[in-house]
Order: sequence, then C-alpha cells, then structure tokens
Amino acid sequence: MHELMLLLPFVLTLLLTLATVPILVWMERRIAGLIQHRPGPNRCNIGGFRLAGIIQSVADMMKLVFKEERLPKHITNHLYFLMAPGLAFVAAFLSFMVIPFADDITISSYTYSIQALPVDLGILWILAFAGLGVYGIILGGWASHSKYAILGAMRASAQVISYEVAMGLSIVSMVLTYGSIDLNSMVVFQSQTFLGFIPAWGIVIQPLAAIIFIVTAFAETNRAPFDAAEGESEIVAGYHTEYGAMKFGLFFVAEYIAMAASGALIVTMLLGGYQLPWIGTQDLINHLDVVIMILLVVIPLFSVIFLRWMHKNNTLDASGIRETKVYTKIIIAKTVLFELFLLYGLLTPLDVTSTAVGVMVLQIGIFTAKLFMLHFIFVWVRWTVLRFRYDQTLDLGWNILLPLSIANVIVTAIVIVAFNL
Amino acid sequence: MGTTIVKRHGSSFKDKMYLSAIFGGMKTTLKNFTTNINNIDALPTQCYPEQLPQDITSRYRGVHRLTSRDDGSIACVACYMCATACPAGCINILAEDREDGVDEKMPKVFNIDLLECVFCGYCVEACPCDAIRMDSGIFSLIAQSREEFVYDKEKLLSIKGAYGNENSVKDSFQNRENSKNKTNSGETHEH
Repeated sequence: MHELMLLLPFVLTLLLTLATVPILVWMERRIAGLIQHRPGPNRCNIGGFRLAGIIQSVADMMKLVFKEERLPKHITNHLYFLMAPGLAFVAAFLSFMVIPFADDITISSYTYSIQALPVDLGILWILAFAGLGVYGIILGGWASHSKYAILGAMRASAQVISYEVAMGLSIVSMVLTYGSIDLNSMVVFQSQTFLGFIPAWGIVIQPLAAIIFIVTAFAETNRAPFDAAEGESEIVAGYHTEYGAMKFGLFFVAEYIAMAASGALIVTMLLGGYQLPWIGTQDLINHLDVVIMILLVVIPLFSVIFLRWMHKNNTLDASGIRETKVYTKIIIAKTVLFELFLLYGLLTPLDVTSTAVGVMVLQIGIFTAKLFMLHFIFVWVRWTVLRFRYDQTLDLGWNILLPLSIANVIVTAIVIVAFNL
Repeated sequence: MGTTIVKRHGSSFKDKMYLSAIFGGMKTTLKNFTTNINNIDALPTQCYPEQLPQDITSRYRGVHRLTSRDDGSIACVACYMCATACPAGCINILAEDREDGVDEKMPKVFNIDLLECVFCGYCVEACPCDAIRMDSGIFSLIAQSREEFVYDKEKLLSIKGAYGNENSVKDSFQNRENSKNKTNSGETHEH
C-alpha cells in the first residue's frame, strides 16, 4: 500500500500527459472538423473498430516512430540539434509534476500528498520549467542553421520573454491572495466561499489576474492565437522546419504536454483544482454515501444519453465497420459493473481508509474532468481566433498585459493590507 | 456625391478590449460544434467511396475517349492537331493510310499518357473532327503500374460517353449533308 500510494502520482502524471497525447490529437482534429462542418478523421480502424477515430492518432504516431531519421547535411552541431526536442519535451513534462491531483490523504498515520513531486514550492517550480520549455525551441531553431528556423526561434523567445513577465506578475497577485506558493494549499483555499455564497475560485476573486494568466498561459504553450513561432504562412514551420520523423514528433508531443501543463495549472490556480464548488474534502469524507447515491443515478443517465447519441450518429456504412453493437454491449457492461461496485460501497460500512481512498479517486476524477474541459477550451480557441501578427503579440504583451498586471498586484496588495486579510 | 464614409472600427474601448469579439467568435464556433455533433449525418461532407458524387456535369473533363463514325470506324484522321495543342505533350500519334476509302488517313497508334496529362481539354478544342472528347464522366483513375496509365487506341475507343451523343458529331453532320445533297440531286434529275 505504501509503495502504491507513493507511485500513484507518478502514474497519474504519466497518464495525464503522455497517455493523453493521442487523445488530445484526436480531440484537436475532431473538434476542428466539427467546428468547420466536416467530420474529421473517421476511417482508420483495427478490425473494424475505430474508437471514434482515436486509432488515427495511434497510426500517426506509429508512422512518426518508423520514419527514416534524417539529419540535414548543413547541421554542424548534432548534439544541440538532437537535444532540443528532448529539452522541450522534458521541460513540459516536469512542469506537470507538482500539480496536486487530490487532497493530502492520511493512511495508517502517514500523510501522502498526491503530487509527483511532494514539494511546497509549486509555483516557483512551474515558473522555472515553463520558462525552460522555450529553450528547447530556441536551441532547435539555432542548431537547425536555417533562416526560417532561426526566425521562428527568435519569435518564440521574444514572445516568451514578454509574456513571462506578465504571467509572473499575475501569479504574484494570486499568491498574495492565497497567501501561499504551495499549489495544494491554494486549492484548499479555493474550497472556501467568498461573500458567503460564491465559491472562492481564483477566477472569481481575481478576475483580472485570471484573464491575464489565461492569455499568457496560451502564449506560453505557443498555441494559436500566439503561434507566430511556427507561422506556416511566412516561415514554413518555424523552429521545427528542419526536423523530421520522431524528432519532430517529440516537439509535437511537447506542445500537447505543455498544453496539459498549462491547463492543469489553470485548473489548480483558477478553477478550484480537484474541488467541487462549495464542497471541501472534509464534506466529501463525511457524506460519501450521498455522493455515491448521486453517482448511482448520474452514471446510467450519462450512459443512456451517450448510447442514444451513438446510435443516432455512429452510422458510417463503410465496409467492415460494424462497431456500434459491440460498443453498446461494452458500455452497458461497464455501467452495470460500476453500479454494482458503487452499490457494494454503499451497502457495506466503509472504514476510514477506504472512505479516504474513495474521496481521493473522486477528486482525481473531478480534476481530470476539469482538465479535459480546459483541453476543449484550448482547442476551441485555437480553431476560433486568428493568429496574432508578431508585432501585435508583443504589443499586447508589453503595452497592455504588463501594465494591467502591475496595477493588479498593487491593488491586490493595497486591499490585503487595508482590510488586514 | 456617391461617397459613403465607412465607419472605422477598432478605436473604441470595446474594440480595443479584443475579448468581446473573441467571445463572439467562440460563440459562433461552439454553435457550429454543437449542431454538428448532434447530427453528424447532416454534415455536407460526402463519405466518398460509399457515396459517389452526383454533381458531375456534362462539361466535366474526365478521362478522354475516341469517338467513332456512324459506320463504327474510328473518326480520327490523324491530323496531329491534338498532339500539337497538348501543353503536356502526352499524346503520341502514328498515322497510316486508310485503305477503306472512307477517309485518307487514320491513326495506327494513338496513345495518351494519363499520368502526364493535365486534363486541360485543349485536345478536345483542337480536334477538327470531334474525334476526341472528355465526356466519359470518369473522375477516378486507378491502375497498378505506370504502364497501365498509358491508354492506347483500342482502350480509348472502348470508353463510352456518359452524356449521349455517342458518335462523332462532325461525321454524322457530314453524312446527313451528303445524303441530303444526294436526294436533292436525284430529285432534280428525275424532273
């Protein structure tokens, strides 16, 4: 049990970053398609099973892995060239490691924190590694020894420098509000209420800092509308022009992991982390039976809605694709099993440990749901907002976001000192 | 007079905020997303191999074909006009004498390399005999090897037109004219 609890956050980190990348690619392509009135990838299948198109991203990854590794002849420093995608990948991955997936849990008088790195300097770690992510891009662009790549790298570095400042200052105002740099205590703070009835989520008590933080987080991940670094229309593919096969694949994966890290940070700092509004961890532990009863009703409801939707829409009449029947059986079986499991939990008296574990699983589920909502918003914004022109990006960073975030820090500090909060 | 002064956008505070416009755009895209996810069958996309396109008109430039005369022989007189007009240089003709007295020349070899063809239709416009046409309605061209993409005379003659008017219009017209002249002269002779 001890080893399992120590290993759990690492497994969760891997699941929510590396293992979700194919799902994120699939989400990106499918949502983009549906926004633009087209279906997106819907053909690739293994034995007639398409998993709604997820097989396509698996096939793409396989293609990237088995492609020939080419090194352009003009590249002189192979070490830097090969190191760059790894650096981008590792930095994005490491910044995810301090995110708390659930509240601290005490099992047989030992308190585990559900963070891969149980440190209390959360924000500093994230600022350090979010900034480091762009070094991979700069190094890749520089080592590529190509004009397009260097232009892309230059854009990325200028953008990160100008947005890191505003991001840091908006984080400062949030740190002032929460009175801590530990991410878990920030989440615990957000389970309180504000003015008596509003949940004290960061987005409610610090709206301006929230907007600045979300905008800068988008810029930090180098995604649209701030993806001038890979502006296809003018500089081919920016910093990864000279990269191919899995070296490009690593840059690609790093972008999605950076997206996951930014999303997790936004969830943790602004959207109450693993908490439900108005309900703290202690409330969940005290009333776990009520939660189980709600789940007993909600899960079959969701299954029925999903099945109806699938029977209406999963109707592609291509050869060899007869998957809807099998999916229906799997979903019904899963729902029944889950219901039986929940009924067992409801009917047998739970001891302290299993209650705590149940609450932990619930909180991990809530965190994952919020994270995927954020992923949806990331994709949604990417396929809505146009790419900012490079000078407009810098103008927004230095002339608008920076003064606003400084003003926000000053106002927050004055309010905290004046009201002695 | 006649001048309209267009109001410039982007200077008001609301415009400079960006956010209201971005939220407006996000509302539109979300509406697209929800309507489409609730009824995927209503998407305008055609699931191609299962659903074939129904909107190919008679003016669509498909795979070429060679037309026949009314007596079933080849309409082409091997004048090299199409090969001269072809910007891709994909038509290869070898002429021979025509022994049956219908015309002077006919092609011995008539090859079109469809991998080099750009489907511009200049050959059809250049042809004086309406002997080559692109009205086969074939839009999908599949073969196993490069050699199979070179269509020879027999293959081109065997492709049927998809929109009626099977034979060379020029030839039919000339035949009609000839027979009319013949009957006319016959009548005058009787009188």
